[in-house]
Amino acid sequence: MKKIIAAAIGAALSTTVAFAQGNYPSGPVTIIVPYGTGGSTDLTARAVAIELEKIWNSPVVVVNKKGAGSMIGTTEVTQAAPDGLTLLLNTAAITTAPAIQSDLKFDPVKDITPISLLITSPYVLVGGANVKSNDFSGFLEEAQTRPMFMGTAGPGSSSHFMSELVILGANLPADVVHFSGGGEAQTNMMGGHSDTYISTTASVMPYVNDGRVKALAVLANKRFPLLPDVQASGEAGVKGVDIEGWVALFGPGGMDPALADQINADFAKAMATDSMQKLLTDNYALAGDLSPAEFWVVYERDLKIWKDLAEKRGIGK
Amino acid sequence: MELLANLALGLETAITPVNLFYCFAGVFLGTFVGVIPGVGPLAAISMLFPITFYLDPTAALIMLAGIYYGTTYGGSTASILLNIPGATSAAVTCLDGYPMAQQGRAGVALFMTTIASFVGGSFGIVILSLFSPVIAEYALTFGPAEYFSLMVLGLVAASTIANASPSRGLSMVVLGMLVATVGTDSQSGVARFTFGSMSLLEGFGISAMAMGLFGIGEILSSVGATRSAKIDSSSAKMRNMLPSRDDWRRSWMPGLRGSSIGAFFGALPGTGPSIAAFMAYAVEKRVSDTPERFGHGAIEGIVAPETANNAADQTAFIPTLTLGIPGSATMALMLGALMVHGIQPGPTLIVEQPALFWGLVMSFWIGNLILLVLNLPLIGIWVRLLLVPYHYLYPAILVFVCIGAYSVRANAADVAMVLAFGVLGYVMRIAQLPAAPLLLGFVLGPLVETQFRRAMVLARGDFTAILERPIAGTVIAISVLMLVWGLGGAMLRRRRKILDTRHQKSVGG
Repeated sequence: MKKIIAAAIGAALSTTVAFAQGNYPSGPVTIIVPYGTGGSTDLTARAVAIELEKIWNSPVVVVNKKGAGSMIGTTEVTQAAPDGLTLLLNTAAITTAPAIQSDLKFDPVKDITPISLLITSPYVLVGGANVKSNDFSGFLEEAQTRPMFMGTAGPGSSSHFMSELVILGANLPADVVHFSGGGEAQTNMMGGHSDTYISTTASVMPYVNDGRVKALAVLANKRFPLLPDVQASGEAGVKGVDIEGWVALFGPGGMDPALADQINADFAKAMATDSMQKLLTDNYALAGDLSPAEFWVVYERDLKIWKDLAEKRGIGK
Repeated sequence: MELLANLALGLETAITPVNLFYCFAGVFLGTFVGVIPGVGPLAAISMLFPITFYLDPTAALIMLAGIYYGTTYGGSTASILLNIPGATSAAVTCLDGYPMAQQGRAGVALFMTTIASFVGGSFGIVILSLFSPVIAEYALTFGPAEYFSLMVLGLVAASTIANASPSRGLSMVVLGMLVATVGTDSQSGVARFTFGSMSLLEGFGISAMAMGLFGIGEILSSVGATRSAKIDSSSAKMRNMLPSRDDWRRSWMPGLRGSSIGAFFGALPGTGPSIAAFMAYAVEKRVSDTPERFGHGAIEGIVAPETANNAADQTAFIPTLTLGIPGSATMALMLGALMVHGIQPGPTLIVEQPALFWGLVMSFWIGNLILLVLNLPLIGIWVRLLLVPYHYLYPAILVFVCIGAYSVRANAADVAMVLAFGVLGYVMRIAQLPAAPLLLGFVLGPLVETQFRRAMVLARGDFTAILERPIAGTVIAISVLMLVWGLGGAMLRRRRKILDTRHQKSVGG
């Protein structure tokens, strides 16, 4: 009898550390996408879920919980158990939203475990019909004679924060105009109603490629390898705007670091597949290669940058 | 000639057995969903969206689009027979459709809405295929100032829709605008009137409001009322459905105007079939020699909105497919169906995916034809569906409405909101306040505010700069004229009435 009990205890103990031995996941994994169906984050999640099902031999369910600038879905994940069976795929919005939303039901540092930086791509400043210059240096001069209107996808969006960052970093004479989503911001720019828009490569490159907007700058210190012809903001002497856009994986707060490492490795495997690599090239993006600990540093740094910027520029006030 | 080649390519794509099947499935399902009050195209398409992951993108889009415009066909059936719009775009059809049913002309009304839907839909498709590239280019010249002026025109028109006094209509428009201020401020990101609630950050949902005001409100007011559903099933017989020569004569001009108004508003992002229907009705009432017939079963009052909403359904695909801007949540789902398959909707879509674009356009023709054939003989079946006793039908609808409300955002709070709006709708019914202007104020209010504030930023705070823009200035001038005309007319009528009663008194006394 004692033997049986001992065996049972042993078995119970071994399951609690099972993930470390490669037995994760113990059941279906839910990836929460805090945006609607069909958006770029949703598409990434659905594509990567197919690859993960092959790796894990276990169902992976993508659930869309949109609203409140991605904070509704994010809040839901923070309330789940940190067993790796509930994950969150979010963009940099997870770092910008806490800077302006005062009603959050969670602590963005304590209640979230950053796991994996899946996709990175630089932010690109694009100009519309009314912008005459073709690069960033020219644009900065043009703005001295004619103050610019920088269109955004809405207050608190990454395009808004990046625009404010550029205004601050380049001492740019410009006003921010908020549109409802990136599509509207871009068409208003094409129609000459506003002048610029900032977003990641995936959203602006289709329009750059068909010549309706022009890429003025990659917001980075050095040129982006996939867009060698576009001037980097650093070349024009503008500092402090070199933030990258990303799509990343998070879990509820307090996740075991070993489990986070395991999930990070599995996602890296999924990102290395042909189908995911094609998705990346199509979107002019790169796969991230940070460990959970390294990504944690980036995450907290970005949270702070946006919080400080919000205070300095009076965003959300 | 390039157009003909494109249409031939489209027909080739649309007529494959698989695509034909999904077209039929879509429009049939759409009509069914449209007939049932409370469940709109958004709820239906949301529920069926996951299917598209397993389909070829063209087939998926053909089916989803079929549900979309099929709903608009079906939506008028419940409007006419029960005075509940089956879909929000059919809300206006209640105003004259239900009185027609009460006069025993339900069959004629149903017949005419089907014909009107077909005419409007066909007109929309012609516009879609002819002017897609042109209108897409033109849409770019519309900036915030232009949209603001159009929304003002819409609001002024909205307050004259209702049959109640202009003051009641206007106050309901304003109430709708006030309700719409709840949520995140569009220009500063500050939460307004949310009291810390996460689910209110997005504001009240249009579907929650429409389902509540029109769906639940109706159900609530039918509880305890001894009124039984007086649907004369014989009205759906072919013989009783044929419109008279007078009906035809009255209908063709409203149909033409409705189609044009619908095609225009459908192509503008953010407006869509509901607003198109409202506008068409308002215009018809304005130009009519006998505006007093409206609201009492005027056939123009069903033909104009029904041609308009169907034309708008088709032209709504113009900004969606040519610019990748969804004009509504439903259109956003259509875009999603494309993007799931890695197709980037935008200006290059027509060039890069000609088979998909023209196949979809041709499937619209086929779908509209199927709907015409399906609806005329099947009206009897839809009528029978509505003949199901209320004590079975209404609980079932309540369940559908709740599922629909929940499905939009998978948020239980939305269900509570629908019920709350249902109570509001009930109270308004008792107080005889019109619900349609409230809904329109709710839809247009935030757009007016957002576009106005954007326009003011772009004009660097100078309002006269907005008036100096040719399109915006003209439309605002028209709105002011309409408002003066409307209010002046109402005052004159009132004065005349007072004078008349005085006169009668003096004669009688």
